[in-house]
Amino acid sequence: MNNSLASVGYRTYYVWLRNAVSYRRFILPTFIASIGEPLLYLVAIGIGLGSYLGAIDGMPYLTFIAPGLVVSAVMFTSAFECTYSSMVRMTIEKVYNAQLATPVSAEEIVAGEILWGMTRGAVSGIIMLIMLAIFGLAHSPWIAAYPILWIAVGFLFSSLSMVITSFARNFDFFTYYFQLFISPMFFFSGIFFPLDRFPPAVKTISLFLPLTYAVDASRALMQGNMGWQLMIDTLALLIPGFILFVYALHRMKKRIIK
Amino acid sequence: MIIEVDNLVKKFGDLTAVDGISFSVERGTCVGLLGPNGAGKSSTVRVLQCISPATSGSARVLGIEASLAARQIRARIGVVPQDNDLDGDLSVWDNMTVFARFFDIPRKIARERIEAQLSFMGLADRRKSRIDELSGGMRRRLLIARALINDPMLLILDEPTTGLDPQMRHVIWQQLRGLKGRGLTMVLTTHYMEEAQQLCDSVIIMDKGRILRIGEPLALVKELVGDEVIEVRNHVNAAEIERALGGLEYGMETFGDTVYITHMDVAAVMARVTASQMHAILRRPATLEDVFLKLTGRGLNE
Repeated sequence: MNNSLASVGYRTYYVWLRNAVSYRRFILPTFIASIGEPLLYLVAIGIGLGSYLGAIDGMPYLTFIAPGLVVSAVMFTSAFECTYSSMVRMTIEKVYNAQLATPVSAEEIVAGEILWGMTRGAVSGIIMLIMLAIFGLAHSPWIAAYPILWIAVGFLFSSLSMVITSFARNFDFFTYYFQLFISPMFFFSGIFFPLDRFPPAVKTISLFLPLTYAVDASRALMQGNMGWQLMIDTLALLIPGFILFVYALHRMKKRIIK
Repeated sequence: MIIEVDNLVKKFGDLTAVDGISFSVERGTCVGLLGPNGAGKSSTVRVLQCISPATSGSARVLGIEASLAARQIRARIGVVPQDNDLDGDLSVWDNMTVFARFFDIPRKIARERIEAQLSFMGLADRRKSRIDELSGGMRRRLLIARALINDPMLLILDEPTTGLDPQMRHVIWQQLRGLKGRGLTMVLTTHYMEEAQQLCDSVIIMDKGRILRIGEPLALVKELVGDEVIEVRNHVNAAEIERALGGLEYGMETFGDTVYITHMDVAAVMARVTASQMHAILRRPATLEDVFLKLTGRGLNE
C-alpha cells in the first residue's frame, strides 16, 4: 500500500491537465447543467415546498437547506466524474491505455482522475454558492473558508467513487451505487430535515454517512457559527477520504495493469 | 542488445499466455512476432512495454529489467497499440502536445518534433481535425507519429496495419521502412505474413505461448518450403498425386480440397501434373505464409 503512494508524483498533474484540456469543449453545456440543477432545488423545494413548511430551527426553509446544497453539489459532481466519466475514459476512450505507454504510472493516472473529480466538484460548489448569493443567502464572511470544505468533500467522494469504479464490470453497476448509496445520503444527511427530528435509528445511520459532516460544516460556515465541531467535521471527511484514496490507488492499479 | 528475453512466462490465472520464451533483438533491426490469435504475441509485447509484469523469467529492455524500472523504459520507447487509443476529446495537435507533456518534453522542442512528425506522416494539414474526422489510415499514422514524440530508441508496434486497406497498408510500410532506414529498432506483431516479409530482418513464429522458429524470413521459406509451391485443387487425392509424381523427390501436404506440393524440381513436377491431366493447378512462389501454416497448422486451431 505504501508503494502505491510512493508512485504518485508530479505527473499526476499531467493526467489532470489532459482532462482539463478535454473539458474546454464541454464547459458551456456543463455550466448550464450546473446552474440548472441548483435552481431546480432552490425553486421547487426551497420556495415551493418551503412556503408550506414555515420556519425550521428558527430560519426560513430556503435558508435551512441552502448550506447542504453547496456540498451535495460537490458530492454529486465528484461521484459522477469518478464513476461514469472515468469508466468511459478507461474502457471506451482507452485514455488510460495511452497514458500507460508513457512514464506516467498507473497510480498517477488514478490520482490525476481523483484530482480532476475534486476540481469538477469544486466548480459545482462555486456555482451553487454564487446562485445562493444571488438569492441573498450567502453573506457570512466565513464562506471564504469554503474551498477547504470543497476539497475535503471532493477528495472523499472522488476516492470512494474510484473504488466503486475499480469493482465495476459495467455501467449498470453505478446505478446501484447512486440509487442505494448516494441518493439516500442526499436525503438522510440533514440537508432537508434537522437530524434531531429523525427517529433515533435513522439518526444513528446518518452519523455514518460522510455527507452528514459536510452538511454540518457547511451550515456552520454559512451561519458563521465557528467552533470545534467544524474541525471534527473536516477530519471526518479527510480521514476516510485518505484511506479510500490509498485503497483506490491499490485497486485501480490491479485493474489497469494485468 | 535492445531486448533480451529469457525464459519468459506470463500467466493469467490458469491460462498460460506465454510459456517460457527466449529471444533477443539487436540494435537497428526489425523483428516480427508472428502467430495466430492467442499465440502470446500481445502478452509478450505488454511485458516489454512494462504494463504487464512477467510471471517468471526475465525481460530486459534497453539493458534494464522491465519489472524494475517501468518509468525509465517507457520514457525511451514508443508504442503503437493494436486498438486506437487516440484521445477522441482532443484535436490532432492537442493529442500530440498532451502526450509530449507526459514525457516532460519542453514545449519548444515538443512543438518542433510535432511539426516534423506530422509532416513525415502526411498529417500536417490535419492538425486542427478531431480524431473522429480522420480516416482509419490517418489515425494509424497519427498513432505512429505520437509514438515517436519522445524520439524513442525502440518502437513497438502491435498489429500496425490490421483493418487497413491495401493502399494504406503499403503507405505505412513505406513509412516504417523509412524509420528503419534511420536506424530505429522495431518490434512488431502481425499476422500478415506479407507485412513480416516486407519489414522484418528476422521473425519469431509463435503458437500457443511458445516459439516454434526464429529466423530470417527468406531463409525460413527456403528451408521449410522451398522456392515454389504447386497447389492442386478439387477432386484429387494424395494417392493420385503420389502415383503421378512417382520417382521424384518432393514434399506434400493436404488440407481440405487442396494438395500443396513443396520442395521440388518445379519443372519436372509441373510436367508430370500437366501430363496426368489434373485441373485447377496453381504454381506460385513460396511465401512466409506457407512457413507459417506449415508450423502452426492449416486447420482451425482454437
